Amino acid sequence: MKRLTVVPTILILLALGLAWAPRSRAQGLDNISVLNDPPTKMWPTYNGDYSGRRYSPLNQINERNVKSLALGWAFQTGARSLETMPLEVHGIMYITAGNEMWAVDALTGRQIWHFTSGRPGGSNKGAAMYKDKLYMTTPDDNLLCIDAKTGKQLWSIPIDDPTLKAFGGSAPLVVKNHIIVGTGGDTADLPGFLLAVDPDTGKIQWRFDVMPKPGTPAWNTWPHDTDVVTRGGGMTWITGTYDPKLNLLYWGTGNPHPVENGAARVGANLYTCSIVALDPDTGKLVWYFQGSPHDTHDWDMNMTPVLFNGTWHGKPRELLAQAGKNGMFFVLDRTNGKDLLSESFVQTNWYSGLNKRGEPIPDPIREPQPDGTLVWGSTGTDWQAPSFDPQTGLFYVNSQQSFGVFYLTMPGIHAEGWAGRDFFLYSKSMMKAIDYQTGKIKWVHDYPGREGLEGVLTTGGHLVFSGGSYDDVIALDAATGKTVWHTFVGGGMSTAPMTYELFGRQYVVFPAGGTVFAFALPSSAAASAPVKPQGN
Amino acid sequence: MVKDLVAFLHGAPVGARWIAGGIVLKKLSIVFILSCFFVIAAHAQYPPRPPKPTPEELAAVAQGKTIFQQNCAVCHGTNLTGGRGPDLIRSDLVRQDKDGNLIGPVVSNGRIDKGMPSFPSLSPEEIRDLAAYIHSEVTIFDLHTRMPGGYPNDIPPSQLATGSAAAGKAFFYGAGHCSDCHSPTGDLAHIASRYPKPTTLEQLFINPAGTLAFSPTYRKGVSITATVTLKNGQTMEGPLLQNGEFYVSITGPDDWNHTWPRSDVKSVVVHNPVQAHIDMLPKWTNQEMHDMFTYLETLK
Repeated sequence: MKRLTVVPTILILLALGLAWAPRSRAQGLDNISVLNDPPTKMWPTYNGDYSGRRYSPLNQINERNVKSLALGWAFQTGARSLETMPLEVHGIMYITAGNEMWAVDALTGRQIWHFTSGRPGGSNKGAAMYKDKLYMTTPDDNLLCIDAKTGKQLWSIPIDDPTLKAFGGSAPLVVKNHIIVGTGGDTADLPGFLLAVDPDTGKIQWRFDVMPKPGTPAWNTWPHDTDVVTRGGGMTWITGTYDPKLNLLYWGTGNPHPVENGAARVGANLYTCSIVALDPDTGKLVWYFQGSPHDTHDWDMNMTPVLFNGTWHGKPRELLAQAGKNGMFFVLDRTNGKDLLSESFVQTNWYSGLNKRGEPIPDPIREPQPDGTLVWGSTGTDWQAPSFDPQTGLFYVNSQQSFGVFYLTMPGIHAEGWAGRDFFLYSKSMMKAIDYQTGKIKWVHDYPGREGLEGVLTTGGHLVFSGGSYDDVIALDAATGKTVWHTFVGGGMSTAPMTYELFGRQYVVFPAGGTVFAFALPSSAAASAPVKPQGN
Repeated sequence: MVKDLVAFLHGAPVGARWIAGGIVLKKLSIVFILSCFFVIAAHAQYPPRPPKPTPEELAAVAQGKTIFQQNCAVCHGTNLTGGRGPDLIRSDLVRQDKDGNLIGPVVSNGRIDKGMPSFPSLSPEEIRDLAAYIHSEVTIFDLHTRMPGGYPNDIPPSQLATGSAAAGKAFFYGAGHCSDCHSPTGDLAHIASRYPKPTTLEQLFINPAGTLAFSPTYRKGVSITATVTLKNGQTMEGPLLQNGEFYVSITGPDDWNHTWPRSDVKSVVVHNPVQAHIDMLPKWTNQEMHDMFTYLETLK
């Protein structure tokens, strides 16, 4: 990252209309513009930058030398498993698990501090950073603000009620001076929402409710002979993305309630299972696209809305792509939400066609039935982040070809919570590289003997990093999907790799099992392959 | 349990339906006192569950709660999830109970051999109230908790047996090719009585190996073996442990683990005893599944 002098920093801050005064921060995240660029020296957000591409231009490690990759360091958290997406800012890595966080020297793996709230554990997908403060949401659904220098908690606020099985754990997203926070939970009927929180005081700036308000067109996508529209669904438990130029925040929403009971909520059930585009300063809805209208299969559409610019039918266009749990790949115009492409990336039998908005039309026979219905494509992918590589124009997603039976266990319009049950009868995992121009699969990399779905990282070194079968971590050739490196780390990866550069050396990091592994080229090899970020 | 829930949602006597809403209201007031205003906003849209209980239902559950807390909570826990005594929320007996018909005898007679005292002084009315309270707690738990692995008691067979036993039998001997390997008087004799959960039977006849059918591990007693042929011509056969991109592992005839790098392996021939089921997966229709279940249900 280029250190900016104070004067241009002030200009940028004034231009952004921010109230806080610039101060010299040796190791805080003091340059907000860094978030607009692809991640190189740092990995300052959940997805590395705002775009959600999870593409780093770093290419010191590349398809020619990746075979000599070696362990730089490993940090053992003691957690049983990690879902964390570590941040790396100015030489310090921030790792989360449950109600805990660690600051670790990103050069050596040495612990700098360890924070625990003492509250119950659970999964945690990572933190966010703003100046010299860190933010994390917890399994018991609080937002914590932690001093990045000391690891001391500065404040916490409740997000939703954990006694109703609401949960946190997703990484917040910092947009200007807003800490954007989502929430999860679909055992009780809880309505989903997003909050924008003041980074210094914890005060709520705005709240976006996924459930529509009376009088809006979306209100009429729910029945009104029951109070189902006020009850719940549309949780917001995966971190969204942001386009600074358009000033639009993109976020995926989860399934409607009651889960797996369609008769109780005839209609499309907006804004559940949708991508919503919001004004990050007000929380007002600008547009939406519903990737799974009237969901009856627990197909949260929380998967990362990935932002990139491309050429569409000969014209440059600002795009958004999403690979959904329902097995569908969508390409949208992110300025207005218009659908450009809707294609299945796994074999499915649950929809009969597309409506005029490009959204799938569910086949009623595949709605859960009291005596069961067989569904192909019962989980196409899950929350673990995909990646888009601008060099290849390919969208990489770990997917499952699955087959299951769905039962309706609580029929009727008064059903609540989980009204159905699903059993997986078959599943096969593979990585798919999707050509965003056509939705066609360019290549498939099979994972024999594995059911997991790991997140993906692409780099300027023409590499795709992810987890393989049998607790391996792997690097694939981005163009062909052929394995070019792998090693056994002895623990499953349930998050995605990330990368950063420090003292002239590129590190690729895999949280696997309860350990964070940082791989790098041996110093001699690194010296002969200087860091030259490629592509954008 | 599911039957209970369905009954409860269609107006069964146990006055539990309202309780979820009541709990929410109670929590709302606690939250109101303890939290800042936005949490209120979060719950302002979370309404109580209609309809209201009858005064009789309300009284029964309240009375049952008092009885429980005085007599049972010390061992079964104030939230019924167990302590010195077993967890009642996940108890099969509780979930099969109706108005105290199973709970009653245990309470009245105790389970002396397991250390549970008897409560002979409780009247039939008090036992019914106690059962109403326990069921209401189970219902709240189920509404708010997706239990790993499904609910303890499954969907009743009658809910799944919506097909034709004759059509299922015809499928068994015909298009399904089931009779190539199976016999209703041989390996499938009394099959419908062998699994406590009807959905287990349904899953097993579709894919006995579960979701890992394509994996080299094995599950539910289905043992997948492999013949590994090395580039040097040696072969070895045994239960398949790993058939990955980089390594192949089997248990050898010597009962030791044997692993080879993929580069040393010429071929791996996998013997999956349920391969016919996997090949069949894309062919099943819902109707065939219902017919087959209905037919197998006759094999008590």
